[in-house]
Amino acid sequence: MKVFKGFEYRRGTTPIHALDPRAKLVYLMLFMALAILYSNPLVLIMIFASSLPMVAIARVFSKWAISIRGSFIFVAFIFLFNLLALYFWGGNTLEVAVLSSLSMAIRFISLISIFSTFFLTTSPEDMTQSMVQMKIPYDYALTFNMAMRFVPTLSKEAQYIMDAQKSRGLEMEKGNLVARVKNYIPVLIPLIISSFRRAELVADAMESRAFGASKKRTSIYVLRFGGKDALFVSIALASFFALLSLRLLLSVP
Amino acid sequence: MISLEGVTYSYMPGINALDHIDLNIGAGELVAIVGENGAGKTTLVKHINGLLKPSEGRVTVCGLDSKAVTVASLARKVGLVFQNPDHQLFAETIEKELSFALVNFGLPPDEIKRRTEWAISEFELSQYAGRSPFMLSGGERKRLALASVLCYGPEVLILDEPTTGQDNRQKVRMASLLHKLNQQGKTVLVVTHDMEFVSDYIPRVVVMSHGRVIADGQSGDVLVRRDILERASLVPPQLAEISWELGLDPPSIRLDDVVARLAKLIGGAKA
Repeated sequence: MKVFKGFEYRRGTTPIHALDPRAKLVYLMLFMALAILYSNPLVLIMIFASSLPMVAIARVFSKWAISIRGSFIFVAFIFLFNLLALYFWGGNTLEVAVLSSLSMAIRFISLISIFSTFFLTTSPEDMTQSMVQMKIPYDYALTFNMAMRFVPTLSKEAQYIMDAQKSRGLEMEKGNLVARVKNYIPVLIPLIISSFRRAELVADAMESRAFGASKKRTSIYVLRFGGKDALFVSIALASFFALLSLRLLLSVP
Repeated sequence: MISLEGVTYSYMPGINALDHIDLNIGAGELVAIVGENGAGKTTLVKHINGLLKPSEGRVTVCGLDSKAVTVASLARKVGLVFQNPDHQLFAETIEKELSFALVNFGLPPDEIKRRTEWAISEFELSQYAGRSPFMLSGGERKRLALASVLCYGPEVLILDEPTTGQDNRQKVRMASLLHKLNQQGKTVLVVTHDMEFVSDYIPRVVVMSHGRVIADGQSGDVLVRRDILERASLVPPQLAEISWELGLDPPSIRLDDVVARLAKLIGGAKA
């Protein structure tokens, strides 16, 4: 559950933190598209590398590393599963199987890196505000914001529940694959039930503070898309087209 | 029974949640652990059933070193009931909830049936038999959570905040249950903020503050020490406050004692 720490916003004063969320969103979308488009491992590594200067400038390396380290087990799984599937059932040569499973793994880790950088440096409030300014209805923006807000709460709660069930003799790592999945039932059910209870509580708390009383909401401060944001978006666009040209001009897969 | 030697633990480097704790609790003792929020009470009890292992020092329970055994094997001897029952209830029926730990510990089916029935009658849950744990009220869920641990008969029982959200009748019942278990020879630890509950029912108290044990002794001696209570942000028991106000020396937390001395004081003034 520690992996969530790699996506949790912490206040910061670096230029990356100060960027308009919309600018970072443009970067996120462009490079996500590239990561899905390409299957060449080298290009995927470049996509991964694109997030590194941001990590460095934002000084979030140690948090970012948590998300990368935390995803290793999934990466290993993706690699192995693809390799076995492509080689044994897909009837590919070993070389093709290794290369394409490798790009799958790198693609995944690139996406994790891009998303981790985004969420580590973007406050949920700014995120909501930027969504509202992009004409997304406030209710949806708030739903998204609250979902993000409750991730750390949920991960903490999952830890409490695991402690409680372990104290009653539950051994999560015991048994074969089916048994292990079943071992999660005593953890998941309390987690889901208490989430429902909490949702009800939050709804009550919001209504008692007159949520939705006025149709038109105003904001105490408004996000401004400034020169730095334009510069950041230009760099993102330039790198995007540079990488895209590899496909268009050299037909790199 | 339970021994902690120089136990240190930190969640984050540089900040010790537990700071060189030395503590011995004998078999059959009834002990309260009190202290301010964040003093390290829950961290301490998690060490006793092995959920946490000390960064430094040693925890021994029933002769087992907590570092050498699994949580499950220590949990068989140490029952830990957490504050919030909603963190553990999950089964479709009360019976299944109660038998969860029994099945995990591999007890035979007839034994499981016997113990489940015992717990249902002991905790006055029979009217809800066959129903879902989530149908119960807050106080009843708390009782069910306690029952689900008690029914496997651990030698040591640790309760985290058992009296929060319970009315006085349930508190008195809780106290008599603790005494009953204690008479059966069980070692019982209670983590709490409820100072009246401690002063009325629990003979020994361990006071924690900032990850250290700052006082440990008979409740009657510890809970009348103003400096200790203030350091740990604890509300003094009302009788201790009355004793201080009246200048009783030594102060007391026993009702009959305070009343007797008060009577003497009034009698003396009249004469």
